[in-house]
Amino acid sequence: MNAVAEREHLACLELPALPLQLLLERCPELRETPAVIVDVDTPNGRILWVNDAAWAHRIRPGMRYAAALSLNAQLRADVLEPAQLERGARRLTEHLRRFSPRVEPSTEIPGLFFIDASGLERLFGSLMEWGERLLASLLELGFDARLCVGFTRFGTFAATRLLPRLSSPLLLTDPQDEHRRLLSTPLERLGLEPRLCETLHRLGLRHVEAFLALPVDGLQTRFGPAAVELHRRAALQTFEPLRPQPIPPNLWRRLLCEHGETDTTRLLFLVKRLVDQLLTLLAERHEALTELHLQLRLNTRVNAPEEERHTLRPGEPTLDSPVLLDLLRLRMDQLELRAGVVELRVGVVGVRATAEQLRLFRDGPKRDLMAANRALARVRAELGEGAVQRAELREGHLPEARFGFAPLSELRAPEAKTRPPRVLQRRLLAKPLRLKPVPRHLRDDGWVPHDPAAGAVVKLHGPYAISGGWWSQEQSREYHFAETKRGDLLWVYYDRKRRNWYLHGWVE
Amino acid sequence: MGAAVLSFPEQIPASALEASRTLQPSFTLERFAGRLIELSTLGASAASSFTFLLVHQAQRAGEPVAWVLLGEATFYPPDVAAAGIDLNALPIIRVSKSADAGRAATHLLRSGAFGLIVLDLGAESALPTALPVPLQSRLEGLARKHDTAVVCLTRRGAEGGSLGPLISWRGEAHRQSRQGRQWGDLITHRDKRGGSVSRLSVDFNGPLGLDFNAPKGTGEHP
Repeated sequence: MNAVAEREHLACLELPALPLQLLLERCPELRETPAVIVDVDTPNGRILWVNDAAWAHRIRPGMRYAAALSLNAQLRADVLEPAQLERGARRLTEHLRRFSPRVEPSTEIPGLFFIDASGLERLFGSLMEWGERLLASLLELGFDARLCVGFTRFGTFAATRLLPRLSSPLLLTDPQDEHRRLLSTPLERLGLEPRLCETLHRLGLRHVEAFLALPVDGLQTRFGPAAVELHRRAALQTFEPLRPQPIPPNLWRRLLCEHGETDTTRLLFLVKRLVDQLLTLLAERHEALTELHLQLRLNTRVNAPEEERHTLRPGEPTLDSPVLLDLLRLRMDQLELRAGVVELRVGVVGVRATAEQLRLFRDGPKRDLMAANRALARVRAELGEGAVQRAELREGHLPEARFGFAPLSELRAPEAKTRPPRVLQRRLLAKPLRLKPVPRHLRDDGWVPHDPAAGAVVKLHGPYAISGGWWSQEQSREYHFAETKRGDLLWVYYDRKRRNWYLHGWVE
Repeated sequence: MGAAVLSFPEQIPASALEASRTLQPSFTLERFAGRLIELSTLGASAASSFTFLLVHQAQRAGEPVAWVLLGEATFYPPDVAAAGIDLNALPIIRVSKSADAGRAATHLLRSGAFGLIVLDLGAESALPTALPVPLQSRLEGLARKHDTAVVCLTRRGAEGGSLGPLISWRGEAHRQSRQGRQWGDLITHRDKRGGSVSRLSVDFNGPLGLDFNAPKGTGEHP
């Protein structure tokens, strides 16, 4: 690996006149027609952006639309709402993340992006290859862009401004090369205010190098804060690390609090519940958490809800809940809630997890079985040794012989079947209850075997004959499901030997 | 409390919300975790059948479950086993008084080691003192603290009302059958975490021997 490849690389990407490009993307028929973007849709609207065809007719930004129309009667105008521009920038940021995870859209110049290109040559073969693919993808979307890969924010910006349209990416070999190009950049290419640019021109200052030669002390009084800022940036005296736009969470969970929750410890437990659910989902997607977003909605006015937003990033992608809870606890200890929290949302961003992380996540116990056994021991101590039991299946013919209850000495982790059928459950009385006999002469009331509120039996399903207990006390029963007027489904049998009806249970 | 006002002003990708929504069906342990809920019915009931769906979900997720049983009518273990539940990992705490049921549930909840605790209150659930409010308050607090779902199985009709004001969710489970098909309708009457009265239908197989289409005398051996 050579020395150049080891350096941190910063790329500057500019989509010139992005608002206009977005308009042309929406209305492609305007590409060949003179078209402008105005601030308001009136004849007095001020022109903000001009396409090539309009530029050829000497229509310039800053003109009133009515004046421009006098230069070309075919001129078309449209307004681009800030929200549309924001949506477009967001879409582009999302697209650029395919080429680098760290993308910062400029807040000052629409269509300007700074991208962390460090290390991408290993993925794409070379940074030139990376840049070419990036520009090609944008061209495919119908966007015209220029790209420079260098080392500093202002250096790459200045170099990008000098690139012609539809040019290949510019790869700066070393910081000195970048600095040389910066010094020779004409001032009017840096997007300065027209008045400042004109004043500097009158003084014969046309390039960055000449501007940097001016004494800094006098800049504020003579040219104002914009000139001072330009000087600081051009002299590379500002510390402006890349501030990539956070990747939006792709999984969210929400919880409503019944009472406005003000206690941060209780809130932490609520958040933990959501975090655990999200970690399970991430693990199912073979991902680990790299960023956690917490949003707390406070119990303030309904029309103007207030909320707190927090973002946490673990040291490395993780599926370890305690690690995240520790970070959450530290953050939540600092919270000073002005009102109770009525809704909380947790969102997570995942990246591909390692096999080791996934294995540890799956193997990690969610509950402490030893604590469960200690709790069962306490129950036994208080309610008696026989209080804690488990059901076990046994071989037998009669329903009560097919199972039994045995003391549970130790609770172990459950192993439920994966896709069992959904079965209606029966309840069983410990001792069958003798019922009233079926009346010989049924009147309107019918047979009311048990609870008068349940009503009379309207339908009997059966019989199903069972016998058992041949070696001790022989049993011969005819089981029925008796449906009552209220809808109860009783599990009854007729004991042939005793010639009586019994209630053994019911379906529930 | 403005619990019904749910809109958040920020923009969350629709796809992300959609994905979350599809993973959050109506009758899941996830929904009831940390809550004290009541599932009740009188008559054509499917309350136990629905509860065992939750038990199965909990066991599948590796969450220990305990069943606190009050009264003489137990569930029928062969049916429970047929529903895929691991009986060996289902402790049954048999009590004779509702006060003991509360004490047992408190011990279990306080350990924080259970994901689901079923309080099967049996016939006593019809009494107004089945689960006193102070006990409900204690159970609700512990359930919330340890993220445990506490399900109270009661035998009350719609007009019987709920066990108390601290019940976070209350529903009725009715069994229905028509033309050989059997299903349970779960009707939500109260949900303190938003949501109005709703209905969820789940198909069930009848227990062995219960086949509404079978001619008399030809059913399966129960």
